[in-house]
Amino acid sequence: MALDIPKVAYSGKIREVKLGSGARAVTVGGETAYPFHLFEGAMPNLPVIAMEVYDAPPAEWPEAALEPFAGVTDDPVAWAKKCIDDYGAEMICLQLISTDPNGLNRSAEEAAAVAKKVADAIDVPLIVWGTANHDKDTEVLRRVCEVCQGKSLIIGPVEEGDHKKIGAAAIGYRHTVTASTPIDINLAKQLNILLGNLGVPDELLVMDPTVSGIGYGIEYAYSVMERIRMAALTQQDEKLQLPLICNLGKEVWKCKEVKIPEADAPALGDARKRGILLEAMSATCLLMTGADVLIMRHPEAIRLVRETIAELAGKTK
Amino acid sequence: MFLIAESINIMSKTIGPALRERNSRPVQELAVEQIKAGADYLDINIGPARKAGDELMQWAVKVVQEVTDKPLSLDTTNPVAMEAGLKVHKGRALINSISLQPDRLAAELPLVKKYNAEMVGLLWGAEGMPRDAAERGVLIAELMYRAGDAGIGNEEIWVDPIVSPVSVEINQVKACLEFMSMLPDIAPGCKSTVGLSNISNGTPAHLRPYLNRTYLIMLMRYGLYSAIVDIFDAELVKIARGDRPEIVDLVNRMMDGERPALASLTEEEAKYARTVRVLAGESLYSHSWLEI
Repeated sequence: MALDIPKVAYSGKIREVKLGSGARAVTVGGETAYPFHLFEGAMPNLPVIAMEVYDAPPAEWPEAALEPFAGVTDDPVAWAKKCIDDYGAEMICLQLISTDPNGLNRSAEEAAAVAKKVADAIDVPLIVWGTANHDKDTEVLRRVCEVCQGKSLIIGPVEEGDHKKIGAAAIGYRHTVTASTPIDINLAKQLNILLGNLGVPDELLVMDPTVSGIGYGIEYAYSVMERIRMAALTQQDEKLQLPLICNLGKEVWKCKEVKIPEADAPALGDARKRGILLEAMSATCLLMTGADVLIMRHPEAIRLVRETIAELAGKTK
Repeated sequence: MFLIAESINIMSKTIGPALRERNSRPVQELAVEQIKAGADYLDINIGPARKAGDELMQWAVKVVQEVTDKPLSLDTTNPVAMEAGLKVHKGRALINSISLQPDRLAAELPLVKKYNAEMVGLLWGAEGMPRDAAERGVLIAELMYRAGDAGIGNEEIWVDPIVSPVSVEINQVKACLEFMSMLPDIAPGCKSTVGLSNISNGTPAHLRPYLNRTYLIMLMRYGLYSAIVDIFDAELVKIARGDRPEIVDLVNRMMDGERPALASLTEEEAKYARTVRVLAGESLYSHSWLEI
C-alpha cells in the first residue's frame, strides 16, 4: 500500500513585497507553506541577508566583529560599499546609532544627510533603522523619508507610539514601513491594522517581531513568529501575511558570551569562532520560523547562513 | 444562573481605599448598587491580605450583611482571614476559593464542613495552571476525591476551570470551554463558576463587554452554573437572565459551525459574530477585532 505523507492544509499566502528599486531591488515573501516546507508549497523568494552599517564608529563591538571592516568603520559609505563589493551584500541596513539621545544625540539633519549619501552610493535596497526612541525616531526618520525621496528605503522601527507620524512620512515619500512590536502576536496584528487604517499600502509594509539571539530568549521570538505564520497561512489572517524582518546582528554581538575574550573565559573557546557561530546559529533558528530578511553583522556568519539557505532550498551544486 | 458581583475588591482604585480605611459607607453603597443591578451573590475580595486579613474580612462581611441578606463569596488566599469571615457570616457563604495546592487543601477543606459553606474549587494544581482540558480533568478528579474524604459532596463544589485572557493564550480559552463541555460527565453533581472578566483582561475597557458577554454565552451553552461578573454590564445580566435569546441563538448556531455572512447581520450581531470567531480561535485577537 502506498504511504501517504501527511501534509499541512494551507489556505493563505505571504504577500510579496518589493524592497528597493532598480535592477537590484529585492522581492521577499510569497510563501505558501511553512519555511522551507517545499514539499508542501512554494517559497518563490528565498530569505535575504542585509548587512549592518553603523552611522558612527561602533564603540562596543568585539574585535572579531570589527576586523572584517577595518578601515571603513568611520565612513558609512565606504563601509556599505565594502559590504556589497567584498562580501556580496544584497541589502544594507544603516543603523542610526549616532542619533541616540543617550549617546551622541546627533540631529535629524545630520543623520538624514548620512542616509542620503549611503543611499546615493549604493544600488541595493537600504534599510534605515532608528534607536526606538519615539520622539527622536519621529524627528529623524521623518527627515530621512523626506531627504531620501525616491530611494524606496525600508524604514524602521515603526512602533505603536510613533506610527502615525513616521507612517505618514513613509506614505508621502513612498518608503516601506517596518511595523515593530515587542514579541507579541496580538500587538503585531494590531499595529498592522493601525498602519493599514493610516493608509500604508500593503505593498509598503513589512513586520519586525523583535528578536534576540540564542541564550537570550530566542525561543519567544521563534514562537511568536511561528504563530504569526500559522495564522497567516492556515487561518487566512490577512493582517499577518507580511514578510518578517529580523534585526539580529546587534542582539547577538552584544551578549556577554560573544564579547568576553578567550583569555578571560578559556572554557568558551576561540572568541571569533564563538561570535560567528552564535550569529549563524541564531539566524538559522529564525529562518526555520519564517524570517524573510535577516539583518546580520559578520561576513563569515553570513556566508554560513547563505549556505544553509541554499541547502534547505535544494539549490546547492 | 447565579451571578456573583465582582466589584468589592481591594485591588479596585475606587473601593480599595474604603476597604483599607474601614470606611463602611462606600462599601455598603456599592453592595446595594450591585444587588440592584442583579447580583445573587457579592464577592468580597480582599486579596492575599497578609496583614490583619482576619480583621478586615470580618469587618467587610459584617458591614455588607448590614445592608443585604444575599450570601457572600469570601475571596482571599489567606485561610485565617477566610475562617474569620466564615465565623461572622449569616447564611450560607461561598468560599472563594480552594485550589489544589496541598497546603490550601489542608487548611481550607475542613472549613467547608465546619461552617456549612459551599466552596469554589479552583483548578490550580501543585504545579500551577493546568495546560489543557485533560489536565483540568485530572485536577477535578483529585479535588472530588479529597473533598469526599473531608465529607464534602460534589453539590457543594463550584468548579472554577480558570479563564485566561484572550490576548494571552487562545488555546487556554478553548481548553476552558472544552473542559466545561466534559464537566457533567466527569464530575456529576458539581456546580461551576468562572471569573468571567479575566477573558478580557488587557483589552481596552470600552470593548471588554463584548468578550465578556460572548464568552458567557459560550460557557452557558455547556451548563455554566454561575459566574463572577461585572454586574454593572446590564446587557450581560440580560443575557444571563435569558432576555437576549436572539444573540444567544446566534452564538449557539456559530458554535455548531454555522458561519452567517456578516452582511446579513445587524451591526450589533456582527460584533458578537466577530467575537465568537476570536474566542473559537479562528481569528487572531487584536484590539481592533470588532472592526475587521
